[in-house]
Amino acid sequence: MTASVNAPLNSRGKLASSLPAEQLAEISELFEFRRKGYSLDAPFYTDATIFKIDMEAIFGQHWIFAASIAELPEAGDYVTVDYGPYSLIVLRNDDGGVNVLHNVCRHRGARVLTEPAGSTGNLVCGYHSWTYSPEGNLIHASAPGETKFDKGCFGLKRAHSRVVAGLIFVCIADEPPADFDETAKIFEPYLAPHDLSKTKIAYQQNIVEEGNWKLVMENNRECYHCDGHPELACSLFPTWGLTEGLIPAHLEEVWDRNKEAQSSLEERCRRYGLPYEVVEELDTRIAGIRISRESLDGDGESFSPDGHRLSKKLLGDLPDFRLGRCSMHLQPNSWFHFQSDHVITFGVFPINEHQSLVRTTWLVADDAEEGVDYDLEKLTYTWKQTNLQDKAFVELCQTGAGSPAYEPGPYMKSEYQVEAFINWYVQRVQEHLA
Amino acid sequence: MIELGTVAAILEPQRIRGLEMPWNRVMGTTEGPAGAARALGPWHPQEFMAECVETVPEAGGMMTFVFRRCDGAPLAFRAGQYVNVAFPVNGEDQDPVDRSYSLSSSPTEPWTFSITVKCDPTGLVSPWVHENVAPGTVLEMLGPVGAFHLPDADRRARYLLLAAGAGITPIMSMLRTIHSLPGTADVVVLYHGAEAGGFAFHEELAYIASVDSRVKVFYALGDRSKPEGWEWLSGRLTAAMLDDVAPDANGRQVYACGPEGYLNTATELLGKIGVDDTSINMEFFTGDRQTILEYQAEIALAVDIAEEIAEEIADSAEDYYESQPTAFGLYEPGYDAEGPLKATGLPLETVDPDAPTSEAPDGSPDVGPEAATPDASSFDTVGTGSLTLSFMRTGINVRIDPTEHILGPAQRAGVRIGANCKEGMCGSCKIVKLSGEIEMNHQGGIRAREIDAGKFLPCCSTARTDMVIDA
Ligand code: FES
Ligand code: FES
Ligand SMILES: [Fe+2]
Repeated sequence: MTASVNAPLNSRGKLASSLPAEQLAEISELFEFRRKGYSLDAPFYTDATIFKIDMEAIFGQHWIFAASIAELPEAGDYVTVDYGPYSLIVLRNDDGGVNVLHNVCRHRGARVLTEPAGSTGNLVCGYHSWTYSPEGNLIHASAPGETKFDKGCFGLKRAHSRVVAGLIFVCIADEPPADFDETAKIFEPYLAPHDLSKTKIAYQQNIVEEGNWKLVMENNRECYHCDGHPELACSLFPTWGLTEGLIPAHLEEVWDRNKEAQSSLEERCRRYGLPYEVVEELDTRIAGIRISRESLDGDGESFSPDGHRLSKKLLGDLPDFRLGRCSMHLQPNSWFHFQSDHVITFGVFPINEHQSLVRTTWLVADDAEEGVDYDLEKLTYTWKQTNLQDKAFVELCQTGAGSPAYEPGPYMKSEYQVEAFINWYVQRVQEHLA
Repeated sequence: MIELGTVAAILEPQRIRGLEMPWNRVMGTTEGPAGAARALGPWHPQEFMAECVETVPEAGGMMTFVFRRCDGAPLAFRAGQYVNVAFPVNGEDQDPVDRSYSLSSSPTEPWTFSITVKCDPTGLVSPWVHENVAPGTVLEMLGPVGAFHLPDADRRARYLLLAAGAGITPIMSMLRTIHSLPGTADVVVLYHGAEAGGFAFHEELAYIASVDSRVKVFYALGDRSKPEGWEWLSGRLTAAMLDDVAPDANGRQVYACGPEGYLNTATELLGKIGVDDTSINMEFFTGDRQTILEYQAEIALAVDIAEEIAEEIADSAEDYYESQPTAFGLYEPGYDAEGPLKATGLPLETVDPDAPTSEAPDGSPDVGPEAATPDASSFDTVGTGSLTLSFMRTGINVRIDPTEHILGPAQRAGVRIGANCKEGMCGSCKIVKLSGEIEMNHQGGIRAREIDAGKFLPCCSTARTDMVIDA
């Protein structure tokens, strides 16, 4: 599904052009005079107008990670995805593809589907029962006495979707950025061997963080703060993001272990034909990406205290449990960890300028049995703890950004990906406002 | 039950991913008795007589004895299981001596089956077997027994098969089975023997490895000095050797069979190279008192089950075979009243021969006791027509013509059913049918799996028979 069948949702720069010239100039200036290598000025994290611009320029124009195919295994299964003012229905259709529809009834605008996830045949609005096909066509509206009512004009608005390696991406722009297909070509071979179509949800966690979505993303793009993640530090080498010469004394031993584990992982990858090289194009393309396969500490299998597997069923046709983690960062709203035994997807869905929903989903092989092949508590423990710690970090920064004493500070070398994210963001918004 | 408006699912051709035993589909089915299943015979231990039809000398002082059941039935078993055989070692008028032997043949050729016996000159039974069992010999057997076997279906099917000496027999059965089936298995065999000329089945192993790209076979000599020209591995099992033959061992299921010392070493080494202990399956060919007792308990349980089933068949063979498909696969030896037998690993369940069939034959859900409690014959009856619809919640019978859509008459009789489009599109009228047949002409207001669950849309359905409806 790539064709947009409805009238344009929002013409380019609609919000910007409706802003008083003075305010627009002020905001444009904030973007223009952003100090490279430094965190953003406070309004980027606190200002409602900038949030609206973010929704329009970033979330309204780019490919957003919405869900994985495991969340809608059968025809008729759907999830609703909300961000900013938008609500989308992501629905598995009868052809095995995905339809994305705006969750806004064409009668008087009611939310058509009110559950976060479920299964449906046709879509029936709960208010006056307008009924839409899974493709979004209005197929029934009881309209006694109406003569000139043309159902053909009132279909649910559609958006674009792409399913790559079992991950579902949506784009509500009339014309989605074309380079996503290039990015998809980069990551598909890394992820496909994990075969998401043969996985199921073991657990899904939704947390609302009291922080601007950019702070959530910034926090994810560095491991400078990883000392604050004791559970994660058991399996994830805390030297992540560092290179020779940047290793602090207390991490030297870990660094050696990391290097050794990485070279044996790479040997395994070569044997099985799995790609592992780092591809890093976070701000050099519109669908920015970083992907690699990296070793884990201990047994090198999964995010457990000893690095041992957390689920006993291998994913896809993977031959070996010791495959570390294939990790991917995508701009603007997601990151992923693909292990041999389970996959964790993370999606960030902004609510307003100071709140964001972070949705974490743990996927295991669809034939893995809870209590037999995996223990749900153990499976989710490390990242549940880590998410809570990250939430606290993000909230500390949000509070800080609200203080009159706040002033942008410098990103350290190990925070180069944060800088890349911010650089990407600033470029994208400026292009949009131009 | 005929449903209009839904297209009957066309079976798609399916590639077998991993490994699937030919009987797996039959075992999985819950519907009526399947002829194919009966052809394979009951999947429980039974006592039966078998006649030796062939003997094949093997390397390493072993001999294969091929049998067929005297009653002509095939022997259904799983690759890796064993039979318990009564040998009249001391003559026909004395008590026979029981011994267990792994089946070395493949269950995919079930009309004959083999055991392979190593002659231990100091033993009581094996020399007698080598000497006396020949084509025409009839022996009493119990089987199949044992939880050491390949799974019925395994989409991953990556195995490391470890055998030492006579421990090759169940491994041979597994290998022959895999070789005889389609699928994407990946098998590594590591076979330890004491001397270069003592590897039973080596010719067949070499043949399978040469024609079946899924299989790799490695041989290793133990401690003794290796002879001239030996190109395989030497020395006892080590972690490095395991890692050499299967560097991806930690992603495999391991099946190991051999003497106790060998298996204990293997357990330790496998742990070292990262094989999860739940991925290790073992069969002991020698063992301490504990192991022996466990095997005895396993056989005793098999005897009990064999007798129980024999009685049931004697009572009513017809009923028994009717109930077969649902009872299939529930018996897994390797478990006794106190719990799982350690020697054979996983906790398994014993059969419940009285297990009720789970579904009514027409595929409609069972009418539970609560649902059945109100008696529709006491309900008021309204309307005219040749068919009766009993609405259990409302407590009313509605008479209706076979041409009428169900919704209207039901609503007029006071049954509370929400409805909007009345064209089978919106799904708002969806209700559950407890019995009877309908003809439905919907337009997307209901999904196939909801129909399977007994739901239907009364706005676009007519009744074909009397019906009981949960509304
Ligand atoms: S608002 Fe949806 S039908 Fe009226
Ligand atoms: S009333 Fe709409 S499907 Fe029956
Ligand atoms: Fe963190």
